[in-house]
Parts: sequence; C-alpha cells; structure tokens
Amino acid sequence: MDPLDELRLELQKIPWFRELQIKHLDMLAGITQLRSVKAGEVLFREGDRAGAIYIVLSGRIALDMAVPPRGKIRFHTAEMWEVIGWSSATPVVYQRTASATAVVDGRLAMIDSAKLRELCDQDHDLGYLVMRRLANIVASRLMSSRLQLLDMFADPETKNAK
Amino acid sequence: MQSDRSPEIGSTVAIQKNVFNSLLSKLKEQGYEIVGPHVENETLVYAPIAKLEDLPRGFVTEQEAGSFRLVYTGHTRYFDIIPGAQSWKQYLFPSRAELFTLRKADGTWNMETPRPTAPAYAFIGVRGCELAAIQIQDNAFLRGDFTDPIYRAAREKAFILAVNCLHPASTCFCASMGTGPRVEGDADLTLTELEDVFLLNVGSELGRNILSGLPFESASAFVLNAANRGLERAAQQMGRSMDTSDLPDLILNNLDHVHWREIGERCLSCANCTQVCPTCFCWDATDTLSLDGNQTRRERVWDSCFNPGYSYQAGGNTRPTIHSRYRQWMSHKLGTWKVQYGTFGCTGCGRCITWCPAAIDITVEIANLRKEIR
Amino acid sequence: MATHVHSHSPASPTERLLEPVWAEVTAITPEAEGISTYWLKFSDPAVAAAYTFQPGQFNMIYLPGYGEAAISICSDPESTSVIGHSIRFVGNVTRAISRLKVGDVVGVRGPFGSAWPMKEMEGHDVIIACGGIGLPPLRPAIYHIMNHREKFGKVFLLYGARTPKDMLYPTEFEEWERAGIQVQVTVDRADEDWQGQVGVVPMLFYRFRMDAPNSVVLTCGPEIMIRFVVYEGLARRVPADQIYVSLERNMKCGQGSCGHCQLGPYFICKDGPVFRFDTLQPYFNVEEF
Ligand SMILES: Cc1cc2nc3c(=O)[nH]c(=O)nc-3n(C[C@H](O)[C@H](O)[C@H](O)COP(=O)(O)OP(=O)(O)OC[C@H]3O[C@@H](n4cnc5c(N)ncnc54)[C@H](O)[C@@H]3O)c2cc1C
Ligand code: SF4
Ligand code: SF4
Ligand code: SF4
Ligand code: FES
Repeated sequence: MDPLDELRLELQKIPWFRELQIKHLDMLAGITQLRSVKAGEVLFREGDRAGAIYIVLSGRIALDMAVPPRGKIRFHTAEMWEVIGWSSATPVVYQRTASATAVVDGRLAMIDSAKLRELCDQDHDLGYLVMRRLANIVASRLMSSRLQLLDMFADPETKNAK
Repeated sequence: MQSDRSPEIGSTVAIQKNVFNSLLSKLKEQGYEIVGPHVENETLVYAPIAKLEDLPRGFVTEQEAGSFRLVYTGHTRYFDIIPGAQSWKQYLFPSRAELFTLRKADGTWNMETPRPTAPAYAFIGVRGCELAAIQIQDNAFLRGDFTDPIYRAAREKAFILAVNCLHPASTCFCASMGTGPRVEGDADLTLTELEDVFLLNVGSELGRNILSGLPFESASAFVLNAANRGLERAAQQMGRSMDTSDLPDLILNNLDHVHWREIGERCLSCANCTQVCPTCFCWDATDTLSLDGNQTRRERVWDSCFNPGYSYQAGGNTRPTIHSRYRQWMSHKLGTWKVQYGTFGCTGCGRCITWCPAAIDITVEIANLRKEIR
Repeated sequence: MATHVHSHSPASPTERLLEPVWAEVTAITPEAEGISTYWLKFSDPAVAAAYTFQPGQFNMIYLPGYGEAAISICSDPESTSVIGHSIRFVGNVTRAISRLKVGDVVGVRGPFGSAWPMKEMEGHDVIIACGGIGLPPLRPAIYHIMNHREKFGKVFLLYGARTPKDMLYPTEFEEWERAGIQVQVTVDRADEDWQGQVGVVPMLFYRFRMDAPNSVVLTCGPEIMIRFVVYEGLARRVPADQIYVSLERNMKCGQGSCGHCQLGPYFICKDGPVFRFDTLQPYFNVEEF
C-alpha cells in the first residue's frame, strides 16, 4: 500500500480524527510518520528537546520521572489513541518533562510539533480543532493527576507517613 | 350521681381530684409501675410516683433559650408544669441497655441474652408533644422489617395517661407542629385539669377498665366548654411558632447554604439537643471486656450525630465540622425524617431550645434560613 | 396506649438486635499488605445451611471485647459453605481481626443491605469500575456473571489499586478473562518494572469503546473515585438510572436502627449500600453530608 494511504487509514481510525475535514486530514498526514517501537525502547528522555507529538496506535508507552533519591516513578501509561508529548504543541515548552518508554511492542503516529504549530497558525479552523483536542487531553490528564495526588487508596493511618 | 358503671370509650368524665389516688392505686394493683413528673433535688424529673401529692403541684417551669428554672408559685394544679430535660424516652429506649453478655468457657464464648423484661409502666402526665414523640419513635423502632426488642418490651405494656396543656412554656411550639396543646394521639386516658375537677377522656378499653368502679360523673357541657376555651387560649399563648409550610424542601434544597456555617460557629457540638429530644433514636454499641478477658458485656447506649466519633470510618470522618453535624441534626428533624417516616422528627416540645448551652433556637434558625434564602 | 406490634416470636430475625451467630475461621488468605481474606464457616450447621446472600451485601463481623465492623462478602454467592471477607486492617476491630488464626471464632450478623442489580443487568453490557478495597464487594457479582455468562453482554472490569503490590486477587484475573470478562487493571503509581497500566480508574473509561445506552455501570471504592467514575459514565451518556454505586458509612446495627449510616433520607445499611445513582443524586455532592 502507498505509505500515505496507509497513514491516512491509520489516522482515520483515531476517534477524534473522524471530525476532521478531508483537507485537514491531508494536512496532518503530511506532517505525520508511522513508527514502530520495540518493548523497552526509549522514545524520549526528560530534558530532551521536544520535537514531536505521538499518538499511540497500539502498545503501551510509559511516562516516568526520575525522582532522586526514589528512582524512577511511573506516573502514567498511554494506551491506544492517547496522545503523549502534547506540551510540545504549545509554543512555550521546548523540553521533555518526562521520559517515554515503550512497555510492549507498539506503533505510533509521530507528528512534527513545529510543523503542527505552523499549520495551526495558518489554518485557524484546524488550529481550533487541534487545540480543543489538546485541551481535552490536558483536562483529563489533570483530573488523573489530581486523583493521584489525593492518594485515594492510601491507608488513612499512614497517609502522612508516606 | 356517683356510679359503678364503666364509662364509654370516647366519652369524657369528671372526677374529683382526690379520686385520682384511687386511680393510681388501681393501676398499682394491676401491676403497673407508675411514673410521672416529680420534683426531686430541686429539679423536675420523671420518677416513680404513688400518689397525687407526688406530682409537682404549685410548681411551674420558666424556660427560655439556654435557661431553665423551676419556680414555686403555689398554684393548686397538679399537672400544670411543662417538662424539663427528661422525657419518657428514658423508659422506652433506655440510655443504656444490655444486649448480651459473653462468657468464655473452655475456649468458647457462651452468650447470655437477657430477655427484655421492662416493667409495665403507667406513664402519668404525657403531654401532647410527648405522645407524638412516642409515636414517632414507634415508627423507628417498631417497623415492619425490624422490631426493636428492648423498645417493644416496654412499649407494648405501657399505659398512657395523657394531659392537655393549658399553660405552655415560652419555648413550646407544639401548635405549629400539630402535636398539642390538645392531645392528638391515642392515649388510654387523656386528662384536662380544671380548678376543681379532672376531666378524663377515655381512649381505650384499658382506660375504661381503670376508671370502672371509680366515682365519676359525666362531664357537663359547662366544664367541657371551659376546657376547650382553655386549650384554645393555650394554643394562642404558645411562646414560639414555626412555619412548616415550605418544609422539608426549604432545607433539602439548601443543604449547601452558608447559613449552616454561621450556625456552626455558635454550636458547641455538645449533643445536649439530641439527648433531651424525645424523638432522637441514635445509638451506639459498646463492649466492656473484663480484666481477665473472659467476659464481655455488650451494651447499647444513646449516641448523637453531634458526637465526633459518630461518623468515623476508614478514610476519615464523614462530618468533620460542627456545621455539618448541626445540618445533619436539623435536616433530619425537619427534612429527611419526613421522607423516612412520614412525619417530622420534631414535635415542638422546645427541649432542645431550653437545654442548648449556646441558646440556639430551632424556630429562630428556620426563620433565619428562610429569610436568607429569600 | 399499648401499641400493636407484629406478633412474631421474639427470636425472629427481625427482632434479634445485635446477637451474632458464631463462625469459625477456616482459612486466611493474605491478599496484599494489610489486607487478608477470612474464610468463615458457621458453627451451627442449621445456620450454615440456611445462609444465602446476594452480590453486594455485607455482614457485621463481631469480635468479642472489640466490637463489630461492616464487611462485604467477597465470595461466590452460589457456594456458601464457606464465606469470604477481604478485610483491610484499619481500626479497632479490623486490627484485632488481623491477629486471628485459623480455628478462631468470630460473630456474624447478616447478610444486610441491598444487592447489585444482577437481574436487571441481564442482556446489558456491564462495566464494573472499582478501586482498592472496592473490588471485594464486586467479586460476588463477577462470580455471578461467570456462572451465568450467557445472560450478559460485554463485561468489562476496570480495577485500580494504589501500587502493583496493593492489587487484590491478581491471580484470578486470567480466569476472569477466560470467562469473557475484559479485565483492565491500573495502578496509581509504580516503578519502571511495572509493565501494566498506570493512571487512575476513571482514566480507564478513555481506553475502551462502550455501548453507553446499553451499559450498566457498577462502581465501588473511595467516594472520590466513585464520583469521577460516575462523571465519566454520565459524560459518555450512560443513563443515571443504569449507574449503581456502593457506599460506605459508619455502621453499628445494619438494620436501619442506630442512625449512624444516614445519608440524607437513606440508611445506607438497609436502603444501600448499593444505590441506583439517580436516587442518590440530590445528596451525592453535598459536602460533609
Ligand atoms: C457496607 C460496608 C461494607 C464494607 N466492606 C468492607 C470490606 O469488605 N472490607 C473492609 O476491609 N472494610 C469494609 N468496610 C469498611 C469497614 O467497615 C470499616 O473500615 C470499619 O470502620 C472497620 O472497623 P474498625 O473497628 O476496624 O475501625 P474503626 O475503629 O471504626 O476505625 C475506622 C477509622 O476511623 C478512625 N477512627 C474511628 N474512631 C475515631 C475517633 N473517635 N477519632 C479519630 N479517628 C477515629 C480510625 O482511626 C480508622 O481510620 C465496609 C464498610 C461498609 C459500610
Ligand atoms: S437528629 Fe441526630 S441524633 Fe437525632 S435521630 Fe437524627 S441523626 Fe440521630
Ligand atoms: S427537635 Fe427540639 S423541639 Fe423538636 S422534638 Fe426535639 S427537642 Fe423537641
Ligand atoms: S445546637 Fe446547642 S445543644 Fe445542640 S449540639 Fe449545638 S450547642 Fe449543643
Ligand atoms: S448501621 Fe445502624 S442505621 Fe444503618
């Protein structure tokens, strides 16, 4: 299959891409590459310069933060159709704030962040859709972080000790 | 004029006041333990009584938010006193009752359950609000799906002589709650005290039985009229009132209102209001283990939604703040109780007003809540 | 006036106030740190023979000298010769329970409370979303579904624990999967050795497609988790009357008598612990109610 067709086909499976007009889908396909990852492969590391946004097509990508002296803390895993590295779509964040590692073999759609910003600047309709989607992701990630922060399963007796 | 007949159920008869002693003797002969209002250690209690003279003749109580005074005025009426902190609840739902005792023998626990053995009480002088309170507790303790054996043992046998209130206290608002000053519930006998005679309305076969053979006259239109006028006056002279027209919605629709916080700043969470309340039914169960660990006595004791330990669970306290506890109290009394049992959990007896050390007044707080919402 | 009360014998179950029956601990299964499952067998064979329960119900477990705790039944409702209770050691009674040994005896009263709507769920997809000690009260529902798998549509179990080692019943997940239950497990935090999902339970709703109008959601766990599970369900258009939650409160009697477990007009011990969400809605978000 023509790689571009294959790409389009993959992108169309992603639920929120279905809202896109053909024109916008083509624009996104133009800056996106399919990529496979092997279990254990590191996608990016904390502190790396951020260049891409990833959409998980299959597999599981773990996000870890190094917390001295506790070692690496795994605080999130991204599953099918989740987006990681979203902050690189904003014009202010240039560094990765966590490391991303494939836990199992998987496939990703990799979108060039700089080009995505450019497209969004040029076509505000697309920009609106992309930013709305990112806002959704941020909101759900924030909800998740808050619940983690609450440590809702902690033993009430030892909550403060830990 | 005197008669050996039995009065009809539903009729009202008059007896000379001293005849009341014969009525009490008769109750005693039939095995009743007679309890009634009594002045003891300079306060008003419910206690065993044997004769008319044990009643608080000549006394009144002066009640205000946060204050109670027993005053001797020398009046000649026996039943003219508005109750104090105690209520009949202490007999039907004792503040402490044994559930069972376990003894360990050869490594196994043997259970001894006391068969609830309350005496047959004759309650003398149950006010309209108090009778309503008993019926409210009946709803909680004698349900179709659950019957409380301790309550039931006492309740089934109780003889109730109710009293119409002619001189309510300034904390009373039974007229608003529809429970007084005229006795509305079912009593065996209902008494109205006039200057020279007691009028007795016969409410049950048991009441009729107790009166039969005693010298009574049928009540004349004149005395009946006097009693009715007295009751109408009493309803008008009620010290407090509460508008219930928009309850329970006023509360249930405003559970998040800032007013609760405002009350929470004054309330001490002392639980007095629930302990004196004749309808509050909450309880806790406790184990008392003997020192050698071979015996434990399990008891049920009164509890209150104001006690901090009341709502602890793994993860913390469901109602950690005083305002949340006050809201539980009031929203139960005047809100959710109605959903649970079809009536309010408040009879308008005023005890919670009198016995609140912070002088918090349920009638005022409802009025304030309503004002703030408008 | 003496009141007319139902004239059943004083020993009838509706009148036994707080008298437990005895049961022997036949086995103790450590599940996670601070949580073990106690398998109980009634000492009186007649009691054992008559005892049945429905998924979601609970027992009051009594330890002489310490008191009682409400504990959900976590075992198969169709196999009642021994009855399982997964207990987290948090307070007075449960810590004392943690010192019990096989062969010791505890008091039991129950079962109490409402059940998961197993009958109404038939023909529907079922989403079981729970966290921490919220899984034990749902396990009987899982067993029931496994026993009658054909009666239900797709079944998802979304389960979250604090860390991988806090996970309950992990050895059973495979069997549940084999029985046609899609098990999704997540933890709040982990280290880099953990191969599974990380994230909170409500996030799992983002990770599968559901037929919302035809789904029934059952949820139990910390109240804050329940709240977000309900939001996720409602956001995906699961009708409020197809969401069921199981709540926890301080409980002393289990019979709607002691007052402790009240939430608004409800006694959670008798009107709950399982509630259809729409009946709870007016009171659910009132702070400290
Ligand atoms: C329907 C239902 C089902 C349940 N199912 C289960 C189950 O399956 N498994 C399970 O493990 N649990 C279950 N629970 C929870 C269990 O009943 C509670 O955890 C219970 O409190 C345990 O009793 P305890 O005596 O050990 O704890 P408690 O002594 O009651 O202590 C509970 C918590 O409250 C705190 N606390 C209590 N009193 C005070 C006080 N006066 N001041 C300060 N803190 C206080 C304690 O420190 C502790 O954190 C269930 C509860 C309900 C209502
Ligand atoms: S007001 Fe409080 S103490 Fe009284 S019955 Fe209600 S919950 Fe119990
Ligand atoms: S709430 Fe107050 S006024 Fe009402 S019945 Fe109870 S004590 Fe009496
Ligand atoms: S309202 Fe008054 S009596 Fe009731 S708990 Fe508060 S301070 Fe005590
Ligand atoms: S536990 Fe006693 S009323 Fe619910």
